[in-house]
Amino acid sequence: MAPEPPLLSMSGITKSFPGVRALDGVDLDVQAGEVHCLLGQNGAGKSTLIKVLAGAHQPDTGTIRWRGEEVTLRSPIAAMRLGIATIYQELDLVEHLSVAENVHLGHEPTTAGFVVRGKAARASTAQLLKRLGHPEIDPGRLVARLSAAQRQIVSMARALSHDVRLIVMDEPSAALDPDEVDNLFRIVGDLTADGVAVVYISHRLEEIRRIGDRVTVLKDGRAVAGGLPAESTPTRDVVALMTGRSVAYVFPERPASAPEGPPVLEVRGLARDGEFAPLDLRVRPGEIVGLAGLVGSGRSEILETVYGARRPTAGQVLVDGTALRPGSVRAAVRAGLGLAPEERKAQALLMLESVTRNVSVSSLSRFARAGWIDRRAELGAARAATRELSLRPDAPSAPVRTLSGGNQQKAVLARWLLRGCRVLLLDEPTRGVDVGARAELYAVIRRLADEGLAVLLVSSEVPEVLGLADRVLVLREGRVVHTAPARELDEHRVLDLVMEGSPAT
Amino acid sequence: MTQPVSPPRDSTGKLPPVDRLPAFRGLLAHTDVRTLSLLGVLAVLVLIGGVTRPDEFLDTRNLQLVLTQASVIGVVTVGMTFVITSGGIDLSVGAIVALSSVWATTVATQEYGFAGILFTAVLVGVGCGLVNGVLIAYGGMVPFIATLAMLASARGLALQITDGRTQIVGVRGLLDLGERDAYVLGVPPLVIVFAVVTVCGWLILNRTTFGRRTVAVGGNAEAARLAGIDVRRQRLYLYLLSGLCCGIAAFLLIVLSGSGQNTNGNLYELDAIAAAIIGGTLLSGGRGTITGSVLGVLIFTTITNIFALNNLQSDVQQIAKGAIIVAAVLVQRRTASTP
Amino acid sequence: MRKGFTAMPEPTSFTSRRGLLLGAAAVSSASLLVGCTSNASDDEETAAGGQPAASDSPGKPVTIGFAGPQADHGWLNAINDNAKRRAKKYSDVTLEITEGSNDTAAQIGQIETLINKKVDVLVVLPADGKALTQVGLKAMRAGIPVVNLDRIFNSPQAYRCWIGGDNYGMGLNAGTYIGEKLKGKSDARVVELAGLDNLELTKQRTQGFDDALKNYPNIKKVARQAADFTVESGQAKMAQLLQAQSKFDALWNHDDDQGVGALRAVEQAGRDDFLMVGGAGALSAFQAIKQDNGVLKATVLYPPTMAASAIDLARALGQGKGVGGLAEYEIPSSVTLYSAVVDKDNVDRYMPTGFR
Repeated sequence: MAPEPPLLSMSGITKSFPGVRALDGVDLDVQAGEVHCLLGQNGAGKSTLIKVLAGAHQPDTGTIRWRGEEVTLRSPIAAMRLGIATIYQELDLVEHLSVAENVHLGHEPTTAGFVVRGKAARASTAQLLKRLGHPEIDPGRLVARLSAAQRQIVSMARALSHDVRLIVMDEPSAALDPDEVDNLFRIVGDLTADGVAVVYISHRLEEIRRIGDRVTVLKDGRAVAGGLPAESTPTRDVVALMTGRSVAYVFPERPASAPEGPPVLEVRGLARDGEFAPLDLRVRPGEIVGLAGLVGSGRSEILETVYGARRPTAGQVLVDGTALRPGSVRAAVRAGLGLAPEERKAQALLMLESVTRNVSVSSLSRFARAGWIDRRAELGAARAATRELSLRPDAPSAPVRTLSGGNQQKAVLARWLLRGCRVLLLDEPTRGVDVGARAELYAVIRRLADEGLAVLLVSSEVPEVLGLADRVLVLREGRVVHTAPARELDEHRVLDLVMEGSPAT
Repeated sequence: MTQPVSPPRDSTGKLPPVDRLPAFRGLLAHTDVRTLSLLGVLAVLVLIGGVTRPDEFLDTRNLQLVLTQASVIGVVTVGMTFVITSGGIDLSVGAIVALSSVWATTVATQEYGFAGILFTAVLVGVGCGLVNGVLIAYGGMVPFIATLAMLASARGLALQITDGRTQIVGVRGLLDLGERDAYVLGVPPLVIVFAVVTVCGWLILNRTTFGRRTVAVGGNAEAARLAGIDVRRQRLYLYLLSGLCCGIAAFLLIVLSGSGQNTNGNLYELDAIAAAIIGGTLLSGGRGTITGSVLGVLIFTTITNIFALNNLQSDVQQIAKGAIIVAAVLVQRRTASTP
Repeated sequence: MRKGFTAMPEPTSFTSRRGLLLGAAAVSSASLLVGCTSNASDDEETAAGGQPAASDSPGKPVTIGFAGPQADHGWLNAINDNAKRRAKKYSDVTLEITEGSNDTAAQIGQIETLINKKVDVLVVLPADGKALTQVGLKAMRAGIPVVNLDRIFNSPQAYRCWIGGDNYGMGLNAGTYIGEKLKGKSDARVVELAGLDNLELTKQRTQGFDDALKNYPNIKKVARQAADFTVESGQAKMAQLLQAQSKFDALWNHDDDQGVGALRAVEQAGRDDFLMVGGAGALSAFQAIKQDNGVLKATVLYPPTMAASAIDLARALGQGKGVGGLAEYEIPSSVTLYSAVVDKDNVDRYMPTGFR
């Protein structure tokens, strides 16, 4: 490789959090002027690694060398001083400040050390924005009034406002449309031409092939492969490295005969202005219906509207032919709907509470007489439900926060099982669940369906939808562009549909 | 504490072995590190009191005195504990106590005697709680602001009713309740009310659906909503409950002071919040302990008592109170991080 | 600095002894500190309801602006009542009364409004005397004479006339009364229930009390606790004091409002083995003294009638008169009311001035 020492060299980095070893001896070399891609499943340690690199986390052990010299990144400021800038996935902009104020936050151009020279800040910001191909963004505009893509640009301008040698980009394309992605890649090209190194994190292999120079794959806190050539490494190998097995997903068998009978859940013309167009769908008992689409295609919004957590602007949700009161979660739950939301910790779990209490929270009145809880019956029933789903450890009084992602998801499913729900709405059911536990979760979902539950599934991972669902609705920008039995679709076809939206029959 | 045991209704379910049930682990199961540390603080205080003023401090009358003085703020703190556990705050408790106490002691109310005073005090408390609850649960107001507004208006209304005058109670039967002849086996009636409110509060928080929903709303309101809990109604009930406690406290205060005054309940909100937080209730919600809150109240009351018995002045008392709040919270953080 | 005091009341430090020539009637019920008088002068028989002051024949119309703190306490309420009632007695006086406020900024605003309205004279009872000095100066510079009521401004330039109570004298007279009652009793023990400790006036009352007790070597003050002028705190602190001191001979309570609570605590503890002296002069205290069936035997005045006198002074200022019989051409620059001791013997005379 290069004769000079690499720009950045991390070796043997470990980092533990209570109960989790997030990084377990990671090595990473980055050369000046290259795009180094970081790949890995959710929970593989990517986020922790870049936070160490940004100075936000201190590693437990390991060394970091910068241009051959050992350094300690005590704080984000220390990292910034060396020339390391990080653009996080959740952008860290201050909404009620202007573009220029955000770009120069913490290092405002000043007179006499404290009078902010607003004009100078706006001028230099305008220059940065021009360089980034977005001269139309007004430096004086409030960030709150910008689109997601524009905010990304502002975030990048902020990184470039420092004398930057290395930029870390955490899934920068996630919120961008194809045009904007092209612009992003052009910017990355310009930067590397200037000798700036880019650490690029993405789920999308095709992007990595387009702009990446080398790839490092993380799995379970370890770098399972470092510095692979981005263009020539076969996809199969990369997936194998990421998942640790040659086939990424193991799905349970579908039942021999398709479910019949009247639908338990029927959605008629359901719509929310600005989020998704009128939608019709039916789910029969025993059937798993999948919604496939990109982020921003309206998948989660649809699920939450069906559940009553969002009020529809049009349409109805019917259970057993009876329309539910719109916008009422309680009506939906009473009718037998249950939601396992995308953000489990924020939307489903009571993190301070035990497994039992998390499971029983939706069925409390079943164990209560005049408001008085029969805790023995509660514990027995919750335990029965969690055992049914093989939730581990089998300790009902353990705090739910000590559970792994997969088992936390099982606790949410057990909640609805205990409630006796008939329609299960699953939003990204395997997010934050490690690969080994996924197959088990898939089996659980299928078994619940086989036992007569109707399941409506949303996932951004196309293979998951295809492998688990009986029928698939493909979404693009809030509109169903295709409906077909899962067997008749493959990943490429679905990706074409979500990108192009051409309804092929 | 007694553990209510209901026989399982569903005998077909897999019932866990009895010894695994928290309910059967007895007192120790609920006496966690935090509670023990509070008891330790209280023990140290008792030691200090006993050493400095053995004759006056270690005396039945003094025990009666401390518990009586703790009763009014104690009842308020029980209500406050529920509100804080649910992730809310009630800044209006002191003002509600003031308003209830003056409304219940106007000349017109006093004509209805004992029952009239009791009824009015409780009703005014619940009424204020209802307004708080509706504003917060259905009006979408932040609890801090809504109850701050209630604080201002209730104090103002109390001032308007009294015109700044002290309303002296002439209902003999009510006044008798605060005197030694009314003690039941040496226990003052006010202390009995406090004990009943505490036990009810403990049972409601730990053994009922209401308590469970309170914790759920405080721990994660969005999760509670998506789990099918009517979060808004729960919030309404919680502020009603706090108002009810204020009404009861106002009645106790009327009995204790033999009067109603618009300055009553001065800074109760801060005392109640401090006691609850010291007791181990999380200010951010999701965890609450009635036992801890009551111990917090007792600690404060005991400190006041020891200082008064030793004739230390209010400046020293205030400094010590502040120091103890900081110390108690620091100790708890230490014990919480090393379980 | 106040050593060598006798039992006889004397003027306090901030009172100009020479300036104190004012018709006794002008301050209705309370006696004036006129040199060295006994605590009741004969020409005060008319007291009570407030007989208008000296020159009560109608004169030039005067608009008086009145600004006081929020009347959240019996005494302050009585201040407002006294001012209003006295103003009503004069056909030539218009009273512009502001809403009371305890907030310094709000009170400054109210007074500035009164200045802008160009009232003829201002009567100000500041929530905080020091903090309101500037606005007093402003009024004086605008040519509006200010009668400063009770809580004194920082600078004499900020008022034309100060009239107020004698906190030090209250303590002094209470101490002296108790001292005389316990004369001859060896090792007598005395307890003090003070008011809000972060007020200057509480310190002055305590100082006066302590100074008086120094004249009685047989008496020892064994305990002091501060309540905060509320019934609730009076009950709580008194209950603690009673527990702390199983035996004492006399109690001085700074304030009759908190005294309601203190008496309640005494009743609850079943104690009657000491004598109690109150402070301020609430009606309930007068009634208890008259009935003479409890521990409360006397109270030391801090008369709210000073507000009525302030209106008299303001009217005289507005009309450019003195006070007939006392200060012929100009009203005095400062008037300190006497803190008379009211006990069973003279309670009837003061009964009408008692506030609720």
